Amino acid sequence: MRENAAKAFVRVWKVMEICFQILTEEKRVTQRELFYKLLCHSPDYFSSQLQVNRSIQDVVSLLRCSRFSLGIMASSRGLIAGRVILQGPNQEVVDCSACGSSGHPISGDLDYLDKLSVRTDARYIIVVEKHAIFQRLAEDRMFHHIPSILVTAKGYPDIATRFLLHRISRNFPKLPILALVDWNPAGLAILCTFKFGSIGMGLEAYRYACNVKWLGMRGDDLELIPEPSLVPLRPRDLQIAKSLNSSGILPETYREELARMVQSGKRAEIEALYFHGYDFLGKYIAHNIVGANYI
Amino acid sequence: MEGKSETVQPCVLLRRIRDFTRSVLEDVCSDRVPVVRIDRFRNYCADSSGKCCCSFDLSDGKETLTLKKECHTQRLDVLLKVLLIVQKLLLENRHGSKRDIYYMHPSVFVEQSVVDRALNDICILLKCSRHNLNVVSVGNGLVMGWLRFFESGRQFDCIKYLNTAHHIPVQVEQISDIMSLAQYILVVEKESVFQRLANDQFCGTNRCIVVTGKGYPDIPTRRFLRLLIEKLHLPVYCLVDCDPYGFDILTTYRFGSMQLAHDAKFLRVPAVRWLGAFPSDSERYKLPQQCLLPLSAEDKRRIEATLSRCYLQREVPEWRLELDLMLQRGVKFEIEALSVRSLSFLAETYIPSKIQHGEYL
Repeated sequence: MRENAAKAFVRVWKVMEICFQILTEEKRVTQRELFYKLLCHSPDYFSSQLQVNRSIQDVVSLLRCSRFSLGIMASSRGLIAGRVILQGPNQEVVDCSACGSSGHPISGDLDYLDKLSVRTDARYIIVVEKHAIFQRLAEDRMFHHIPSILVTAKGYPDIATRFLLHRISRNFPKLPILALVDWNPAGLAILCTFKFGSIGMGLEAYRYACNVKWLGMRGDDLELIPEPSLVPLRPRDLQIAKSLNSSGILPETYREELARMVQSGKRAEIEALYFHGYDFLGKYIAHNIVGANYI
Repeated sequence: MEGKSETVQPCVLLRRIRDFTRSVLEDVCSDRVPVVRIDRFRNYCADSSGKCCCSFDLSDGKETLTLKKECHTQRLDVLLKVLLIVQKLLLENRHGSKRDIYYMHPSVFVEQSVVDRALNDICILLKCSRHNLNVVSVGNGLVMGWLRFFESGRQFDCIKYLNTAHHIPVQVEQISDIMSLAQYILVVEKESVFQRLANDQFCGTNRCIVVTGKGYPDIPTRRFLRLLIEKLHLPVYCLVDCDPYGFDILTTYRFGSMQLAHDAKFLRVPAVRWLGAFPSDSERYKLPQQCLLPLSAEDKRRIEATLSRCYLQREVPEWRLELDLMLQRGVKFEIEALSVRSLSFLAETYIPSKIQHGEYL
C-alpha cells in the first residue's frame, strides 16, 4: 500500500475510534472539536480540518450512516413558516404562520424531526435560497395570499432542512415544491441539492431528494430587471457550472438555463426585482405559480 | 440607558426628513448653493493621550457637501434617493434591507457601499439609529437560558426548553415583559461553542443566559444584549478565541465598531468583561502544544493595529497587556482546544470556576 493510502486508511479508523468514544459517553462533538482531538491524539495522521472532514465522509460512506448518527453535532440553518402546524413528541404545538418574520427554526436533530406530526392546508411548498427573501415573504405574510409553506436553509441546504422537506413531501405527496433561487450557477446548485441530493456527500446523498421544480429566477425573467442589476459571473460560478454540467444529473431544460447563464457571463439576485417596488416579488411569485410557470 | 435613538418615533423622523428636504429646497429656490454638513464620527484613533474626541463620543469635525463639487452632487443625489425610499418605508410601516435599497436604483448607486454610506449619513443627519429608519437585516443571534420575554405578542419561553437555541428577534423594540432567573449573561463568539454548551446542558446547572452573535454581532444581537442589561442589571462575561479576530469581536461588543461609529453610544455594551480565553490560559490549563497555532504575518499586523487603539489604553489597559502577551508569544488558539482532554471541561470547569473566582478582566 502506498503511504498516502495507508494513512488515509488509518485516519478512517482513528475517526471511528473517537466517534465510538463520544457515542459511548452519550455526547456530541462539533467537527472543529473532532479536529483538535485528532490533532492531539494522532498528530502523525491529522494536520488539517480538511483531512478530518474527508475522513468523516469516508466513514459515512463506509458505514452507510449520517454524520449525525456518528455523534457529530448537526446544526440546522433551516427555517420554516406558513400554513403548517408542527408538533413534536411531548411538545407544544407550533403554528408556523404565527412565527413572525423570522419563522420557526428547524431542529438539527433528525430523530426529533422524524417524530414530528405535520398538519397543513397549504397548496404549495416554496423553498427559498436566501434568508433575506424568506424574511421578506414571511413579513408580508405571502403564505396567506397563496396558501403555502415557506422553507429556507439560508444557502446551501443542510441535512436537517432536506430531511424535513422530504418528510413533509412524503406525507403530502400532492404538494408541489417550488424553488426560488438567484439566477446563477450557485443558485441552481442549491436547487439541485434539494432535488437530487448532495453530490459531495457520498451514499447519504440521494436519501432526501425531493421533486423540486424551478420557479425562479430564470433566464426569461431577465427582461424584468434593469441592466445595471446584472453582475458578472465570478470564477467560482464558472467552476460550479462546470461541475453541474459534468454531473450528468441536469435535465435538458436546466442545462439550457445553465448554458444561458454561462454564455451571458452575468448573474442576477432575486432582490433585483425590487426595482419595481417591494410588492413586485409577491406578484411575481403569484403570477408564476398561477401560470404554472415552473420547470 | 434608554438613548435618544430608542425614543425616535416614525412621525418624528418623518418630520425631520421633511424639514431637511425643505431646507435644501429653500436654498435652491433662493439661489443659494445648498450645503449639507454631516458630523464625522470615529470609534477609536491612535492618539494615546486620552484627550481625543473618541473618549467623549464627540464628532471629529464635520464633512461639508455642496452642489458646487461634482462628486458631492452625486453623493447628495444618492442620499436623497435613499432618503425617499426610507420615507416610504416609514410611511408604509415596512422594513427593508440595505441590499433591497441598492436594487431599487442600481444604475445610480453602482455599489452596495454607496448605499451603506448614505444610510450612515442619514442616521447622522436625522440623529437616529439605522433601525429607526426601518432598515434592518436578517437576524443572526441566538439566545438560550433562564429567560422569558414577549415579542410582538409572541412568547419566547427559553426556560421551558433550557438548552435549546432561540433566535434573537430582529425588531428589538417590540420586545417586552422580560423576565429572568439568571445570575449572569455569557456571550460566546462562536455558534459551535454555543452548541457545545447546549449539548453539555450548561444552562441546566448554571443559572444564566447564553448569547451568541455567531461571529461579529449584528445590530439586533447588540441591541438585545443592551436591553437585557438595562432591564436585568446582570454581569456580562464574554468568551472568545484567543486570536486577533476573537479580540476584535470582544471590542465590538464592548466599544462598538468603526463602521457604525456614529451609533456606538447606543450599540456598545460597557459592562462586558473578558472571561477568556487569555494567552495565559494556555499554560494554566496545560493545553497540548499542537493546539497552539502560530500567528501569521497578517495576525501580527492586526494585533499591532489593535494595540494602538486609544480606548484600550484609556479604558482597559489590562486587556491590552494580555493582547501584547499574545503578540510576544506568537501563538493563538481556539476555545475548542480547551475541550481536547474532556469535552465537558469548558462547561463544568473552565467557565464556572473563572466566574466564581473572579478571573475575568
